[in-house]
Amino acid sequence: MRQILVLLLCLPLVVNGSEDQAKSIINEMEKLYRGNSSEVSLTMQVETPHYRRSLEIFGQTLGKERAIFRIISPKKDKGITTLRRDNEMWNFFPKINKVIKVPPSMMMGSWMGSDFTNDDLVQETKLVEEYDLELIIDSETFLIILTPKEETISLWGKIDYLIQKDPLLPLKQSFFDDYGTKVRELVYKDPKVFGGKLLPSAMEMIPLNKPGYVTKLFYNQLEFDPEGVSEKSFSLRALKKRI
Amino acid sequence: MFINIAFRNIFRQKRRSILTGLSISAGYVLFALTLSLIEGSYSNMIKLFTENHIGHIQIHSDDYLTRPKIYKSINDKSKIERVLSADQRIISFTPRAYSPALSFSEEKTGPVQLIGIDPEKEPTVSRLREKITEGSFFKEPQDASDKVHALISKSLAIKLGLEINDEFVLIGQGADGSIANDIFIVSGTVGSKSSSDKTSVYVPLTTMQAFLSLNNNVHEYALLISDISQAQKVSQNLQSALSDFVVSPWQVVEEVFFKSMEADKQGNWIFLALVMIIVFIGVLNTIFMSVLERTREFGVMRAIGFRAVGLVTLIFTETILLTLLSLFLGILVALPLVFWFSEVGYMFPEPMDMGGIEFQHLKGELSFKVLFVPMGIVFLFATLTSALPAIRASRLTPVDALGRF
Repeated sequence: MRQILVLLLCLPLVVNGSEDQAKSIINEMEKLYRGNSSEVSLTMQVETPHYRRSLEIFGQTLGKERAIFRIISPKKDKGITTLRRDNEMWNFFPKINKVIKVPPSMMMGSWMGSDFTNDDLVQETKLVEEYDLELIIDSETFLIILTPKEETISLWGKIDYLIQKDPLLPLKQSFFDDYGTKVRELVYKDPKVFGGKLLPSAMEMIPLNKPGYVTKLFYNQLEFDPEGVSEKSFSLRALKKRI
Repeated sequence: MFINIAFRNIFRQKRRSILTGLSISAGYVLFALTLSLIEGSYSNMIKLFTENHIGHIQIHSDDYLTRPKIYKSINDKSKIERVLSADQRIISFTPRAYSPALSFSEEKTGPVQLIGIDPEKEPTVSRLREKITEGSFFKEPQDASDKVHALISKSLAIKLGLEINDEFVLIGQGADGSIANDIFIVSGTVGSKSSSDKTSVYVPLTTMQAFLSLNNNVHEYALLISDISQAQKVSQNLQSALSDFVVSPWQVVEEVFFKSMEADKQGNWIFLALVMIIVFIGVLNTIFMSVLERTREFGVMRAIGFRAVGLVTLIFTETILLTLLSLFLGILVALPLVFWFSEVGYMFPEPMDMGGIEFQHLKGELSFKVLFVPMGIVFLFATLTSALPAIRASRLTPVDALGRF
């Protein structure tokens, strides 16, 4: 009888993991898409009750802190480019030959009319540093609950990050506001192999407070450590390059 | 018989009758003229106001008027244009599109209200073309690659430091969520530095539609009708013909302006009532005096068998006859005066600014209402005023009346 009790105590269904473990899982997730450097071609579909729009985007990343995204089509928006360096962000509009820095106040603004915010492009990597992590280990998934640290200025009161254990892939991020209401959901879908790595090839950002809105992101190509991606690719000069 | 006696009584005391009559006439003329000027200056202001930009009636999609959103646009243009063209009461109409945007010049930036207009139809509805102070009205761009000409308000030109033919940049949000951005050239400035319209940028509608990915859609139809006083009625008729859209007369479009105007008109009635009260205290006085002076006469009449009711009727008849004569005289004076004010009017040496609209020409209005409403009111007041002396006279007993003097 005592043995059974001990056995039961040793096999809880839900295990709380350490914060370090949570950190390494999140880092793993972030490396998944980025590698050291990467080149990606994406299709972004924005759906709202009023319009539906599809963009072809070409992007390059280097490390955690450098990214550049260029719109390839439609023709009207062709060449509009977003550069991200560290915490800063610029947009370039070829038609008017103007570089506009995205001010901090616009960080929560929509990126190119999608449900992704400018902040999503910049801040994604900061989860580990700016949030307290709590890891809950389930039989098939990890659930990491992120709450902003005391000094972090965050829009979210809480983020639930759900990750599949085997293979290790992100499943869903749920964003809660300060009152604990779930306001949006980022769902990862359709894992495919890119450059030898298995990763979800589609994402859906669903703002729950705006019924009918959804932004879908499809990875058409993803190449890791490609040639020609260097620090130079992320300069303000590169931003103004015409395509 | 009463009328005969009444006439005789009026003409017996000529001076008293003339004085009473004149005070009634003057009251009427004053009343009619004030009303004419109030109505006239308002209709003048409404005319300026509606023809400045908003038009007499507007058509929108959904609740665009109160909650403008770029996607609440009108896409079935042909249906609207068919209905509008068929209606004889409508003089002209024009489509428009609106959007907020951000403007950049070399060194400055500022928010603007972007207005897409039809270069051919717009001048038939609004005074935009007349308001151009520098440069010229634009034409449709010849070529798709040409830079687009835009009209900007004078204040904005000053703020951004722009001259005619300078370039500036506009950035806005397209109807499909895209970032609209393009270079424009200043072809002219609208209004003056003090105009209320401080941030407007006008571009050709087709440019606007391409800029904002609006396809062929517009946000508004503004129209002028031949008789502005029919705006609400025409608007209702159009609404039933165009049930998919929202048709609003200017009273709804500019609700705040309309309501404050109505409140102001109410206030003016109080002023008019004061004028009337002063006039009729005078009338009351004269009638009282005449009754008092004629106490002996009334006594005699009662003594020879004239009944109390007869006396009341007599006094009423006298007053009514006198009032009618005075009103006849009054209208002879008021009609040319009102006519002159409505046709010629009076120019203020300095223009007044009323809600952003320059207002310099004081004009009256010549209408049935202006002439006959005061007439009715004066008549009613005069009759009521004579009631008191009449009742007093009827209460006299012959003995008292004859014995008093």
